[in-house]
Amino acid sequence: MANHTTVDYQAEKGAYYKVLVGLLLLTALTFIQPSMFLTNMTFGIQMLIGTLKAWIILMYYMHLKGEKLIGWTVIFAVLVVVFFFSVVIVDVNNFQFADVSYITSPAK
Amino acid sequence: MAHDSHDSHDSHEYVPEIAVDRNGKEHVVQGWQGDFYGAKLGFWLFMLTEVLMFGAMFMVLTYYFTLHHADFIKASSELNRTLGGINTVVLLISALTMGLGLLKMRSGDVKGAKLMIWATMLLALVFLGVKALEWTNDFKEGIFLGLPTMQAGGGKSFGELLFFGMYFTMTGLHGFHIIIGIGLMLWLLKRINSGKVSPEHHILHFNIALYWDLVHLIWVFVFPYFYMTGAGAIHG
Repeated sequence: MANHTTVDYQAEKGAYYKVLVGLLLLTALTFIQPSMFLTNMTFGIQMLIGTLKAWIILMYYMHLKGEKLIGWTVIFAVLVVVFFFSVVIVDVNNFQFADVSYITSPAK
Repeated sequence: MAHDSHDSHDSHEYVPEIAVDRNGKEHVVQGWQGDFYGAKLGFWLFMLTEVLMFGAMFMVLTYYFTLHHADFIKASSELNRTLGGINTVVLLISALTMGLGLLKMRSGDVKGAKLMIWATMLLALVFLGVKALEWTNDFKEGIFLGLPTMQAGGGKSFGELLFFGMYFTMTGLHGFHIIIGIGLMLWLLKRINSGKVSPEHHILHFNIALYWDLVHLIWVFVFPYFYMTGAGAIHG
């Protein structure tokens, strides 16, 4: 069975260039943010910009827009990752074994 | 009723596999090249295992980052942000050429699609070249796995050593994915030249484009995590 889908290259390439411009602008934002705004929240802002870029790539370059089954599979996977990240962050913020662990600075 | 294909047994002619449903009706079993959605879904499941692997590494990184916050920011500020930024843009443009190549293939322009794949490969090589230059500079500055300066008591704090350990592991693994991607693109070109990938059967091209986007997607998080978290340490 062929999987040929007729597309008009000239008509559709515009969307790819728009996505490129959007990603370039976000990349520029990545560079200027640490010296321009919210400088005390650099890590959080950088991850936010990264998430936005990832969403654009997933939707447009990876063709997830309009994909229900695969889209929900990806959302589920991301939620699992977010859940485990949350658990890790809560856990590490209450780290109680600095004196005996191998992942903290050796006891002086 | 099984399909009798013994007539063509000795030839290399493609013989479709036939399955029979409960009503006795025959159906041609689709191979991965013919089952577009199945091949796409299968590849997405593979990519989720990649997300699992890198996700676990990011989780370890987050754990260490929380425990050694100041050391990580100091170590991050030592990385070459310009070279990392150049690679970010190179990878971004390569995602565009890969996407346009697929679009050209789907619109029937096979020659144009091949040109775009070559362009993507060239950009991938540029990425590796910049990465090699960056690692060479790191080595000269005493930042590389195994160097005496990267051992306990070598002048760097424990948190910095953890940061650089994760940096070389994750960017190295990402670079390995770039090399695999170049190999996949060469294989794709071979199959296009032999007519096995065409505008009518382009699932391999589609999936390799997905793979390349995943490699780009991983870099979207690797870059700010390693290179930008320490940017505030310089700019204030």
